[in-house]
Amino acid sequence: MKALKFVLTLIPFVWTIAAIPFVNTVKPIVLGLPFLAFWLVAGIFVAFVCLSIVYKIDTKNSNG
Amino acid sequence: MSNEFLALGIIFIFIFVTTIVGMLPGMKEKLNLEGWAIGGREFGRWLSWFILAGEIYTAFAFLGASGWAYARGGPTFYILGYGALAYVVGYYLLPKISPIGRKFSLMTQPDLVQHIYDSKLLGILVAIIGVLFLLPYLQLQLTGLGIIIQTCSYGLITKVPAMLIAFTLVAIFVYLSGLKGVASTAVIKDVVMIVAVVFFGLYLPFHFFGSVGNMFEALEAAKPGFLALPGGTKVLDVSWVMSTLVLTSLGFYMWPHFSANSFSAKSPEVLRHNAVFLPLYQICLLFPMLIGFTALLIIPGLSNPDMSFMLMVQKVFPGWALGLVGGAGALACMIPASDLILNTSMIFTRNIYCRGFNPNADHTHQKFVARIIVFIVTATALCLAIFAPNLLVNLLLIGYSGVTQFFPMIVLGLFWKRATKIASFCGLIVGETLVVYLTFSKLDPLAIFGLHLNAGFAALMVNLIIFVVISILTSNNDNIVAKEKRLSAS
Repeated sequence: MKALKFVLTLIPFVWTIAAIPFVNTVKPIVLGLPFLAFWLVAGIFVAFVCLSIVYKIDTKNSNG
Repeated sequence: MSNEFLALGIIFIFIFVTTIVGMLPGMKEKLNLEGWAIGGREFGRWLSWFILAGEIYTAFAFLGASGWAYARGGPTFYILGYGALAYVVGYYLLPKISPIGRKFSLMTQPDLVQHIYDSKLLGILVAIIGVLFLLPYLQLQLTGLGIIIQTCSYGLITKVPAMLIAFTLVAIFVYLSGLKGVASTAVIKDVVMIVAVVFFGLYLPFHFFGSVGNMFEALEAAKPGFLALPGGTKVLDVSWVMSTLVLTSLGFYMWPHFSANSFSAKSPEVLRHNAVFLPLYQICLLFPMLIGFTALLIIPGLSNPDMSFMLMVQKVFPGWALGLVGGAGALACMIPASDLILNTSMIFTRNIYCRGFNPNADHTHQKFVARIIVFIVTATALCLAIFAPNLLVNLLLIGYSGVTQFFPMIVLGLFWKRATKIASFCGLIVGETLVVYLTFSKLDPLAIFGLHLNAGFAALMVNLIIFVVISILTSNNDNIVAKEKRLSAS
């Protein structure tokens, strides 16, 4: 569980920071946004999903 | 009625109603110091959400983000990235701070540092540095409010009187309402703000180009590469954005007011739950950028890019609509400014005045002094805004570089048992010296090994190395045991 939490915490940082050199383009325009902006907006959802799972794990632990 | 009076009238109705709502909690009960400064540590999910989220929609998000989009292009997108990451950090950090604060009656960030390391001197140092870097952030809010009043009056009121009006409103508001007033008005502010930016952020590109995608296509055709890094700049490239994202996501919760805001939560569970949903709120920051990009195509050549949002609305809509936007924007400046002033005055009173000069002051006296400091702090920020004007984003980044230097001391101090007091002093002093040196010798961004690093990031790395090395050299069993005892909140 601890390892899983660590990975889930790391994913948003890799998505948003480490990926920057590879997503620094304007085209293709996705959902009306330049690709770089689209990637960073997607990162917001990634952070939300990862934190939701971490929260689930934590609440399960405190109940059990 | 003429446009300027209509617009100004609507703004003042907004501010008036909000001030009344903000004063209610303070009038119902006589607030003690804890009630005024940290809402009596009883904020549940909703108030806690709005006091934490309230710090996102500030003058910077509203005017600065659109101004940056207008002037710089691609590098602006870093703003979309850091918030979500900051909440991941906050998920672990705030629930750790909050119970320690409750158990040991801590109210401010310097209180916390003093407690972690059992060092009054370190607390005072952190207080002084915190106050110094809160001032540019406060200046940012007042400048923003000045810009809004100036635009909405269609030039009738110039910058300095506009900021004087802003100053008076904000100081009175904080004096009367305290943190609970700030939190309950943040609810109004956030709802109004979101409606305004989403509506205008979508309406303006659709009005001129048919869709958001078309607007970006047109911008790419007019200025190829402007929407990627380094956009309209030479130095804000991939390495700058990466280092700035690290700095701002780690530094987000190092702002002194966030410690106080986490002390105001009823339980750590409240903070954890809110951290999960706060990232989604960050999407709202996209909309002001859309307005900035549209403005670049429609009204090129602005001398102050921070005015692009207001000028676009002024161009397309009649005075009453500008008033609505101005009202929303005014709240976006006032509420965060109030939170900042409140915390600055608390830090000054508790951690500099009481610890340094008057250790026997009781809570009534502390509250009296804190309320006077409210006016002094606001006046200082006002002088900065008038005599040392700066683009909003520069103010934000200077502040960030400064407060992020607290990161090793606070976060490692809480989670790493070997962190020591001496290491904190050394790391902090070296880090802050570097920030000040690099910023004032115009070495920000710092060109090193072919990269352009955010100067605050470079300073943080040096700070971190010094902190870890000296901690390892100076920690011993006695102080590890003593520190663990101070940090156990159960």
